[in-house]
Amino acid sequence: MSTSLDSEARSAIHTVGLTKYYGRHLGIEDVDLDVREGEVFGFLGPNGAGKSTTIRTILDEIRPTAGNATILGFDTHADAVEIRRHIGYIPGDLALYPNLTGMDTLQYFGNMRGGVDWAYVDELADRLDSDLSRKVGDLSTGNRQKVGVIQAFMHRPDLLIMDEPTAGLDPLIQREFQKMVAEVAAEGRTVFLSSHTLSEVQRVADRVGIIRNGRLITVESVADLRSKSMREVEFVLNTQADASIFERVEGVRNVVVAGNHVEMSFGGDMGELLTAVTEQYSVADIKTTEADLEEIFLTYYHEDDEREEQP
Amino acid sequence: MTLANVFVKTAADRWLGWAIAAVSVALFLLFGMSAYREIDLSVYTSLPEAFRSLIGISDDIDVGGLAISIMLSTWGALALAGVALAMGSSAIAGEERDGTMDILLANPKSRTYVLLSKTGALVTSVALATFALWIPVHPIAAMLGVEIAGLDVEALMLHLFANSLLYGMLALAIGAITGNKGTATGATTAILVLSFFGVGFLPLVEGGEAVSKLLPWYYFDGSDPVNNGVAWGHLALLGGGSLLLLLAAAVGFNRRDLKSQSVGTTMLDRFRGNPLLNKMIGRLAGSARVSSIWLKTISDYQTLVLITAAVMFLVQGVMMGPMYASIPQETLATFDQLPEQLIALFGGGDMSTPEGWYSLETFGFMAPGAVILVTAVMGAGALAGEESRRTMALLLACPISRYRIVLEKVIPILLFAILVGFVTFAGVSVGSIIADLGMSISNIAATAALQTLVGLVFGSLALALSAATGRTSIAIYGAIGAALFFHLFNSLGALNQALADLAWLTPFSYYLGNDPLNNGMDWIDAAVLAALSTILIVLSFVLFQRRDIRQRG
Repeated sequence: MSTSLDSEARSAIHTVGLTKYYGRHLGIEDVDLDVREGEVFGFLGPNGAGKSTTIRTILDEIRPTAGNATILGFDTHADAVEIRRHIGYIPGDLALYPNLTGMDTLQYFGNMRGGVDWAYVDELADRLDSDLSRKVGDLSTGNRQKVGVIQAFMHRPDLLIMDEPTAGLDPLIQREFQKMVAEVAAEGRTVFLSSHTLSEVQRVADRVGIIRNGRLITVESVADLRSKSMREVEFVLNTQADASIFERVEGVRNVVVAGNHVEMSFGGDMGELLTAVTEQYSVADIKTTEADLEEIFLTYYHEDDEREEQP
Repeated sequence: MTLANVFVKTAADRWLGWAIAAVSVALFLLFGMSAYREIDLSVYTSLPEAFRSLIGISDDIDVGGLAISIMLSTWGALALAGVALAMGSSAIAGEERDGTMDILLANPKSRTYVLLSKTGALVTSVALATFALWIPVHPIAAMLGVEIAGLDVEALMLHLFANSLLYGMLALAIGAITGNKGTATGATTAILVLSFFGVGFLPLVEGGEAVSKLLPWYYFDGSDPVNNGVAWGHLALLGGGSLLLLLAAAVGFNRRDLKSQSVGTTMLDRFRGNPLLNKMIGRLAGSARVSSIWLKTISDYQTLVLITAAVMFLVQGVMMGPMYASIPQETLATFDQLPEQLIALFGGGDMSTPEGWYSLETFGFMAPGAVILVTAVMGAGALAGEESRRTMALLLACPISRYRIVLEKVIPILLFAILVGFVTFAGVSVGSIIADLGMSISNIAATAALQTLVGLVFGSLALALSAATGRTSIAIYGAIGAALFFHLFNSLGALNQALADLAWLTPFSYYLGNDPLNNGMDWIDAAVLAALSTILIVLSFVLFQRRDIRQRG
């Protein structure tokens, strides 16, 4: 269902100074976002940070107070209908028609797109273990969410915009969902995924945007974020260790020495640390726990807080 | 969850409805009294007893009494009973439908406790609303110089309170016993409407008076409390009825399984439940109702429109013919002598002719009311409803424009308005034929067409409000409030020259203003009504296009 427009690289989502006020209450402010085609972009932020407001603004559900946005090169307001041909969407806090069955629901939305590939729908339902014959109103939250997921994927959209899509899904289904997202990206299609579940984004996203209090704080690749971030490092040496050797290396904190066993928090260049250690000791074992976005997330929020506190 | 919470929240949830009902009735009272002030009182001395009974006018008539009797005994009582009914049916069954009852009952409170809190809220709300209605009566009378000193307004108010409460409790009890809000609303509305009309109509036929005592509405103003003071026996019956209903509600609610966020079962679903029929239905209708927005909308409102159409056809159409034939000739003869302006007041109801009878009983209030009910509910639900249920987000993610969404919502509204108009036409025609009344079929068709058009004006208003605000309550109360206001405005125009000069302002003057049941179609009237609806519908397209979609209900 992919339609090729210009052959030159374009942004899947591009916003410039996007701002939305609800009366005097701030929704988002000056959000500049650039999601490239073919990537999985994670949009992270705590509840009420402005994730849904951003999504609802670029989908023309609500209109920006200032700024503008394009999706796949189309203006989000003027070309709203054209854009919707190319996107699949799961709103946050998904609601469906309770008196329709899952199948009815998919037919309803499928018809509005001029029909979909029902074999593919069956395949998706199968993968997510979704019973489409039951009325949506009788389904549990997770099972209702599956209908929403199928609804977003079923027409093989060029861009999937999903607002906390795994809400209520059990871990097995979440894993299947992540596979589906990876497949979409592998086909060159784009995924924009908002979440406050860091591990989820960490697993599937190439880049991450972090939003807080309506402002986009940073956009970085997941790999960069990880390399920058603190991790726990543990060395087992052949001899008694000296804490000062480690403390001299930039980025090392909280060194704890117990005989030939050293533990520390480290947020710097791993090569530098290894060089410093191997110059003095012979290393029997190294253990490092991978950085978690959770910590990065908190770090960014913390920094932002400090900045705000200054006049 | 304290008592105050369940109680206060329940009362507060409905404040908008109560406020609109109370304010509209107060406005009516102001309008009404200022209009009645101008009336030549000699008009009423010749009124036949039967007619007075039908419209609820007391024997020793005076301006104040007449105004209060029409304003409060009819409009006020119906408005308050209607809002009490809505509150009663939401109390238990509504919370179940919304899925909030589970959370409520997860608190350390018994079902009886919840029921009593809900009842307390209902009683308080009805009392406050009655009080709010009472507040303006004396000041308005004083302001306009209308003498009401000899009237027992407070007695009427007490009766009004007990009467409204009974319908609220009936709806609450049915909801508590069945857990089905639709059943509670539907059954109570049917009982309310039938007993209101029954009490008016039955005394006209021989032996009917005794039968009318079986209807609860009789105990509201059967004793004429505004002139005769409080009838404690009648009040006790109404109050006792409410208590019995509370008891039944307590027993029923405690015994049954709670419903989870319930899903309405339609006729189609019942057919689908049958394995033999399922395949066939699936092929015929199952996919049809989800094939487009407008077909789904039709399917969504099938129950409402079927019930309304059935009532209009059978009760308001067919049955009215034989009922008219059953009224004794001598009673009818007296109507012939009624002054013109009084006849006009009741929608041109000169009951000495079948046309007058149908104008009064069917076309005057119920027929446009039925179209307004259906179209206003659909108009409000069309856009605001999808927003408050949060399904608009998915609809707007489909490659269709907002214009197209409005268009696909307008089509079913138009179709259903035409359907209700058509069944009214068919019912009245059949009624006329089987009772051999000899009414002109083409004039009935013309009246029904105008009925459809005037109803659509208010349905379109609901749609426009829905498109502009995204709030169902504003759309539905706004449209129905406007309809009541203009209907009253139009009725009073017959009595008051100042209002009559302004009659062109009210849509209803283009409906029965030229007596289509006798004179046939007035194309100018039809064109004015059609133009009004068109303007409102066009406005809906524009307003919905410009607005932010609401995320929450």
